[in-house]
Amino acid sequence: MSVTLRRGYPARKSGVWLKQSDQENLVFDPEHEAVHLMNATAMAIWVLCDGETTPDEMIDAICQLSGLPREVVLEDVRRILLRFEEADILSWRD
Amino acid sequence: MADAGERVRVLLADEQVLFREAVKVVLSSEADLEVVAEARDGTQAIAEAERARPDVALLDAELPNCDGISATRQIVERLPSCRVVVTSAREDESVLLEAMEAGASGYLSKQAPIVDLIEAARAVHRGEALVPPRMLGALLQRLIQRRRERDDALKFLATLTRREREVLVLLAQGADREGISQHLVISPETARTHVQNLLGKLGVHSRLEAAAFVMQNGLLDDLTEVLT
Repeated sequence: MSVTLRRGYPARKSGVWLKQSDQENLVFDPEHEAVHLMNATAMAIWVLCDGETTPDEMIDAICQLSGLPREVVLEDVRRILLRFEEADILSWRD
Repeated sequence: MADAGERVRVLLADEQVLFREAVKVVLSSEADLEVVAEARDGTQAIAEAERARPDVALLDAELPNCDGISATRQIVERLPSCRVVVTSAREDESVLLEAMEAGASGYLSKQAPIVDLIEAARAVHRGEALVPPRMLGALLQRLIQRRRERDDALKFLATLTRREREVLVLLAQGADREGISQHLVISPETARTHVQNLLGKLGVHSRLEAAAFVMQNGLLDDLTEVLT
């Protein structure tokens, strides 16, 4: 089954802030009074959601660094971005 | 690279004798790891890597006589199968980025427990990249930025004439105006004109800057490929 990615530039919603330590990565969303715990990969993708980086660029960089097959990375990135969207902490720019 | 069942051969480079001795004892107690060479500075690390041909090199970033980043670049160039882990007393983003750009497969803070160093040696030997999770985002941002710069540079190359590309290759290889004219069988004045046009298009002021543009963006292979 082929996996497709939404076009555009994912961007962190304003007002959402990050607490990062050696032990955990927390994203706090004051609007929804929600806290999201992120693993290292989700955290890295969250950092890249700057409204100027496409999912394709994220995938290329992760592939370059990890040596993992593109389809594996693509599925991970798609899933993580979808979770951010569902949590309403991410918007998309054209 | 060692086959399954063989021990992973490790080069250990650190200025501190006590640190080397301690790490050596710990690594040697692992059945699958073997310290085959040691070095106290960068120059010695490169020489020992060539002599012992280790699978993995653990290099301190702040080695004297050729720092760990430069040593990484040279070891990876001379021994492509050798995986390098750079260690640093500071958890410094810039050291991580420099190390990975130099060809290291991993980066580890010396604040980490010794078991992490053991796992790092195994992980990079398996072909994995090892980056502290907190620094992963910054590293990916740098990789993306580098790729964008390279894409822009490739687009720029496409705007050059074949002759200008030939001149650019020669500049990148260190040729002066005389060398360019001889190689391309043109007059020194014509060579001068080509160089001036090229510098103008590149928006740089010297042949050295033009050469740096090629090397920093890793364009030499692309240029020579187009010209052959």
